[in-house]
Amino acid sequence: MWVNMGPQHPMTHGLWNLKVRIDGEIIVDADPEMGYLHRGIEKISEDRHYNEVVTLMDRTCYVAGLSWETLYITAAEAALHIEVPERARWIRMLTDELQRIGSHVMWYAAFVQDIGLMTPFLYGMRDRDLILDLFQSFTGARMTYEYNRVGGVRNDLPNGFTDRARKVMDWLMPRFDEYDALCLGSDIFHRRCDDLGRLSATECIDLGITGPMLRSAGLARDLRKDRPYHRYDQVDFDVATATAGDVTARYLVRMEELRQSVRIVRQCLDWLDKHPGSVLAQELPRWLGAPYAPVGAEGYLLKRRYPSGTGFSAVEEPHGEAQAYVVNTGGEHPYRVKFRSPVFANMSGAKSYLVGYHVADIPPIMGSVDICVGEVDR
Amino acid sequence: MATTLYSVSDAISSLLLGAVGSIFPEPVHGWLTSTDVVTGLAVLIFCAILLVASMINTIMLIWFERKLLGRFMDRRGAMHVGYAGLLQNFADGLKLFRKNTFMPREADRLGYFTGPTAYMVTSMILFGILPVSSGWNGGSLPLSLLLALAVFSFAPLFIFVSAWSSNNKYSLLGGMRSAAQMIAYEVPILLAVVAVVILAGSFDLNTIVLEQQNYWFWGPLVVALFVFFVGMLAEMERIPFDLPEAEAELVEGWNTEYGGMLFAFFMLADYVRALIGSLLVVLLFLGGWTMPSYVPTALTSFPLAGIFWFMLKTYAVFAIFVWIRASLPRVRTDQLLRIGWMRMIPLALLSIVLAGLVVLARCLPVFGCVPTLGG
Amino acid sequence: MKPEELKDNLAELLGPRLLAVEPFAGMAGRVRFERTAALELFRHVREVLGYRHLSMVGGIDWVDHREVFYVAWSDERKEYVLLSTDVPADDPHLESAAPVWTAAVWHEREAFELVGILFDHHPDLRRLLTPEGYAFHPLLRSFKLHEPEDLEVKTRNV
Repeated sequence: MWVNMGPQHPMTHGLWNLKVRIDGEIIVDADPEMGYLHRGIEKISEDRHYNEVVTLMDRTCYVAGLSWETLYITAAEAALHIEVPERARWIRMLTDELQRIGSHVMWYAAFVQDIGLMTPFLYGMRDRDLILDLFQSFTGARMTYEYNRVGGVRNDLPNGFTDRARKVMDWLMPRFDEYDALCLGSDIFHRRCDDLGRLSATECIDLGITGPMLRSAGLARDLRKDRPYHRYDQVDFDVATATAGDVTARYLVRMEELRQSVRIVRQCLDWLDKHPGSVLAQELPRWLGAPYAPVGAEGYLLKRRYPSGTGFSAVEEPHGEAQAYVVNTGGEHPYRVKFRSPVFANMSGAKSYLVGYHVADIPPIMGSVDICVGEVDR
Repeated sequence: MATTLYSVSDAISSLLLGAVGSIFPEPVHGWLTSTDVVTGLAVLIFCAILLVASMINTIMLIWFERKLLGRFMDRRGAMHVGYAGLLQNFADGLKLFRKNTFMPREADRLGYFTGPTAYMVTSMILFGILPVSSGWNGGSLPLSLLLALAVFSFAPLFIFVSAWSSNNKYSLLGGMRSAAQMIAYEVPILLAVVAVVILAGSFDLNTIVLEQQNYWFWGPLVVALFVFFVGMLAEMERIPFDLPEAEAELVEGWNTEYGGMLFAFFMLADYVRALIGSLLVVLLFLGGWTMPSYVPTALTSFPLAGIFWFMLKTYAVFAIFVWIRASLPRVRTDQLLRIGWMRMIPLALLSIVLAGLVVLARCLPVFGCVPTLGG
Repeated sequence: MKPEELKDNLAELLGPRLLAVEPFAGMAGRVRFERTAALELFRHVREVLGYRHLSMVGGIDWVDHREVFYVAWSDERKEYVLLSTDVPADDPHLESAAPVWTAAVWHEREAFELVGILFDHHPDLRRLLTPEGYAFHPLLRSFKLHEPEDLEVKTRNV
C-alpha cells in the first residue's frame, strides 16, 4: 500500500511529500517528492542586483537565514573580487554560530515533538527565542534579516550586545544538559531511536550526505576545520562526532555542536570587544553601496563594467555542507547563481535509510535528517 | 438516613412537584404528588445530576490538564476566558458545537456517525455505574466492577468502526493500532483486577471500597496497581501509549477525518475515559472515599466529605497521568504490544499470586481472623 | 593538489579531450573537458584521485551552448575540484555521473529540469522540483520572468 505522507502532514516539517510503500507496518519503498516550495530563487537571482539576492537567501532556509546569507555573500564577493574588513568576517562567524544554535535548538524542538515528547518542544522554542532576540537587536528582524552586504555587513553590533549575548550563552549551556536529561535519560527514547536509520560513513559519502548525519557515522568532516572560511582557523573548537550512525548518534552530534557553537560564540564576542573597526568595505563601487539608488543618481545609469569572475564558497551550514556558485559576467546582476543545499542531498538518500523500518519510525528518522524544505526546493 | 444521590433527587423531585402541583386543582394535584410521579421525576433528576456533574468534571479535567501541562512546559496554559482560563474549555466546546457537521464523500454513513456517538455514550454510561461516595451511585449492583470493565472495553469496537468507515488510510491504521492495543491491555487489566477481587472478596465496588477501610489495597497489591496503571494509560491512549493518534506519523490517527461536534465527542469521550480510569484506580487501590483512621475526624465528617476526598484523590491520580504525558516520549506499536503481552501479563499473574498470599497471611492465627475467601 | 599536477595527471588519461585545467579560488582547479570523456574522467577522479564525495551538479545556459559543472570533494586532500564541460544547446546530451557517484541522481534530475541537460543512462530522469509534465526549463535564458522585464527597460538599462 502506497501512503502519501504529505504535502500536508505533521511529519514533514515543511511542504513535501514522502511516498512510502508499506507492508503492514514495515516500509518497503520510499520516494520523496519535492518541489512544493520551489520559488525559483536561482532564477529570480538572475534578475536581481547582487545585494538584493541577500533578501532571497533569508527565504531559502527559514531557520538558518544568516548562514545562507554569508554563504551567498562570500561567493558573490569572490566573484566580484571584493575584500571584506576583518571585523565583518568575525561578525559573520558570530552570526553563523548563533544561527547554528538557533537552528539546532529548533531542530531539537521539532525532533522531540516527532517522538511524542511535548515538554522539551516548548523548552526548545523558548530558548530559540533568546537567539532571535539577539538577532533582532542587530538586524532588526527575527527571521528575514537582510544583514549581509557585498563587502561586509550592513551595520555594526549595537552597544552592549556582547554582554547580552554572553548572558544568553550562560543561560543556554545548562539548558543543553536539561535537554539531554529529558531525552537520553529516558529509556523509551533509546528504545525509539537506537539502531534507527542506520548509515555507515561510506554510504553517507556515496549518497552525498553531509553535516551532522555524516559526522554521526564517524567521519569528522567539518568544513570549518577542513577548509576554514571566515576566521574559523583562529578559534578553538572540536568537531563533534559519534560512531553509531543512527538517530541517537545524530542527536548526540547536534547536542555537542550546540556546546561547541557556544564556545565559538564566546571567542567571537571576546575578539569583537577588543577590535572595533569598520564592518563594510570602504572602496565599494557606488552601485554596490546603494542598491536602491533612484533613477538618475550619479553613476547608476551608466553601463557598468566590472571584472568578470566566478565565485565559489562552501560553508558548514547547520544542516550540512552548503555551497554557492556565482557567475559574474560584468553586469550588475549575477549571470547565474547555483546553490547546493545539504538537505537536498541528505534527502535524496531517503530510501536507503527508511526501508526496513516501521511506519512509526519515519518521524524520528526524517526528523533526525533536519529537513528544511525551503533550501531543498529553493 | 445518610444523604444519597437518590435521596437528594427524590427531595428535589417532591419539592418541585409539590410547588407545581399546588397551583393545580385537586385531581391533578393529587396525581402530581403521588409516589409514582415523584419517583419517576426523581429518576430523571437523578440522571440529569449525574450527567451534568460528570460533564462538568470532565471539562474541568481538561482545564486541569491544560494548566498542569502548562506548568510543566514553563508556560501558563489557558489564561483568558474566565478566571485563570476556567471557562476556556466551555468556549471551545461551544465553538465545536457551532461547527458544521460534515462527512467525507466516500465514507460509510452509518459507521461514520454511530462510531463517535456510541463511543461517547458507552463512556458516559460508566458514570452511572461507579460509586462516588457511600450511597452516591446509580445503584449497588453485585457485579458492578465487572459491568464497568465490560462497558469500558467496548471502546475499541467503536473506534475501529469509525476509523474504518471514514475511509482514510491513516484512520484505518490508527483504528487497527487502537484495537490491537486495547485488546492487548484488556487482559492484564482484568488480571490485575482479579487480584483486587481476591483480596476484597467481592465484585461490588461498594464492598471493595468498604474492605479498604482498614488498609488501602495499593500496599499489598502494589504490583497489581502498577499493571493496572500502565494498562489504563494504554486504554486511555495517552502518551507514552498514544500511538493510535500518534500525530507525528498518522496525523490524528483514527479521528483524522472527524471535525466539529463529532470530533468533540471523541475528545470528550477520551477525557471521560481518563476520568473513569483515575476513578477506577482510586476505587480499587486508593480506598475510594474512605480515609485512613489517623486522619482527624473533623476532616472526614463534614458534609460530602466522601465526595471531596474521592475527587481529590482522583485528580491527584490524573495529575500523575499528566506528569507522565509531559515527560515521556511515545513508544512504538511493536514495543507497546511486547510490553503488554510479555511484561504486563506475567506481572499481573504475579500480582494474583501475591493477592492469594495476602489472603492466606490474613488468616494466620496471629491475626486471628476466620479463614474465608476475602474475609 | 596544484592545477599543474592535476593537469599532468589527467592529460595522460584524456589526451586531447582534456581542454584545460585552470586555477580556481578555493579549489584544486577547474578541469575543462570534452563531453565524450565524461564517464572516464568521473571514474578516474573518484577512484584514482579520491574525490569520492560529489557535492554539486549545476548547469549554466550560455545561450549558444550550455555548461555543466560538477563539484567533488576529497576527504584525503581536503579540497574541492570543479569539473566543467560544454554541451551544444541543440544537442544537450551528457553521460550521467550516477553510475559513478550515487549522489548525482537528484542533482542531475535538477540540472535536467532547470537547465534542460539530458543525462544519458540516468536511472531516473524525472522532474524533481517542477510539476510532472511541465514543459519549460526555467533556468534557460529564453525563459523570461514577466514583470521584471518591463521594469528593467524603464529603470535599469537606460
